[in-house]
Amino acid sequence: MFHTTFYLRRLHSLCGLLMLGFFILEHMMTNSLAMAGPQIFNMAMGMVEEIPKPVFYGIEIGMYAVPILFHGIYGIYIALQAKNNPRDYGYLRNWNFTLQRWTAWYLVVFLIWHVGYLRIYLKGITGTPMSFELLQNIFQNPVVAILYVIGMWAAIFHFCNGITTFCMTWGITKGPRAQNVINAISMMLCAGLCLLTLAFMASYFVY
Amino acid sequence: MADKVRFIIERQDGPDEKPYNQEFDVDYRPGLNVVAALMEIQKNPVTVDGKRVPPVNWECNCLEKVCGACTMVINGRVQQACCALIDHLKQPIHLQPARTFPVIRDLLVDRSIMFENLKKIQGWVEIDGSWEVTNAPIQNPYTAQLTYKLSQCMTCGCCLEACPNVNYSHLGIEGLREEKSAGAADFMGASPIAQAYLFNLNPIGSFDKPKRLNALMEKGGITSCGNSQNCAAVCPKSLPLLDVLAQVNRDVNVQALKNMFNF
Repeated sequence: MFHTTFYLRRLHSLCGLLMLGFFILEHMMTNSLAMAGPQIFNMAMGMVEEIPKPVFYGIEIGMYAVPILFHGIYGIYIALQAKNNPRDYGYLRNWNFTLQRWTAWYLVVFLIWHVGYLRIYLKGITGTPMSFELLQNIFQNPVVAILYVIGMWAAIFHFCNGITTFCMTWGITKGPRAQNVINAISMMLCAGLCLLTLAFMASYFVY
Repeated sequence: MADKVRFIIERQDGPDEKPYNQEFDVDYRPGLNVVAALMEIQKNPVTVDGKRVPPVNWECNCLEKVCGACTMVINGRVQQACCALIDHLKQPIHLQPARTFPVIRDLLVDRSIMFENLKKIQGWVEIDGSWEVTNAPIQNPYTAQLTYKLSQCMTCGCCLEACPNVNYSHLGIEGLREEKSAGAADFMGASPIAQAYLFNLNPIGSFDKPKRLNALMEKGGITSCGNSQNCAAVCPKSLPLLDVLAQVNRDVNVQALKNMFNF
């Protein structure tokens, strides 16, 4: 009596909220330092480099790479099963359901580009350290900057809506009232993080 | 007030045929509903172009939103045709079959997979056996109010049609037969989950609670729910499906722990 689908879906839900949620918040905090100027941001980047390599790779692979690959690949399987129908049933939750899948598709492409270029190509192969100036240079192209903002907004929405659905999937919020409260809170968090994204992205054009 | 009501009906001559649209005009009368209009079309199946065509196939039975047979998609929204009043609908009125199920002909679909799923979750109370049959234990009256509500489910299939995660149409009639014998693997939708909960609440039915929960944990069970919550929004009986789904999610989580540690 081993229900593979059940455990895979629950694991998908858990690693999405806990691992990737932590990852997004960590990204938000580090990137917010860009608002304090190039020196502070580069200092933070330098501190990341100070982490002993085995520990750093352990975290990177165990906490980021593996969960994100599992969540992404199993998520593609889930998203492919859905026939989105917000045009006929335009309820808020149905729109969120659809957006959850649309943002997922965008994130699959965006993350391959983002991780592939910044982490694997620039940092991994050419050995270029991450710095304020490097990012500033990349964002000179307005198309890239806009695609990055959309990518971060997609990730933020996917995470915040994920909080609401996580609470439903695990039976934490039972009934529409509790679910609406959690949804309102997570959507406020979503709006806040989206504004924060705009603020730190703007700092690359200010300094 | 228009004298004629225009219907645009999506027709299909057989399970594997291509769908096509046909338009019909029906004389307006106060209180006209979609089933009554379909009956008018059946009497005189002539399209707006004046062509005589085979009458439109559909199902209906009780005509008072109790049996669920006349479930179809009206103006993009799944509902019972018997209580869809023309006065409340935007014209022209589009009628489509509930395509989450395999279409047999025109607006007639094969919803038998819902019955298969009820069998899968053991949607009944086991009373026959070698044991002594005595008076049933009493039920908490508050629980009884909830179970009365849940027992109103008429297996109409609205929750399945509106759910973006349910789709049995790709199976076709043949595939459905195979799927039925093999045990459905696609998402069963809200209705059988609510029925599993109903029978878990029954004092005698609760004896088989682990069996039902384990069935719900299999592929196509509650795990495939994507929380779009369309089921609750379209349910013609206003079943408290959001509460049910969350509670059953809780129950299967507890059952999973029991499966892991109690053996």
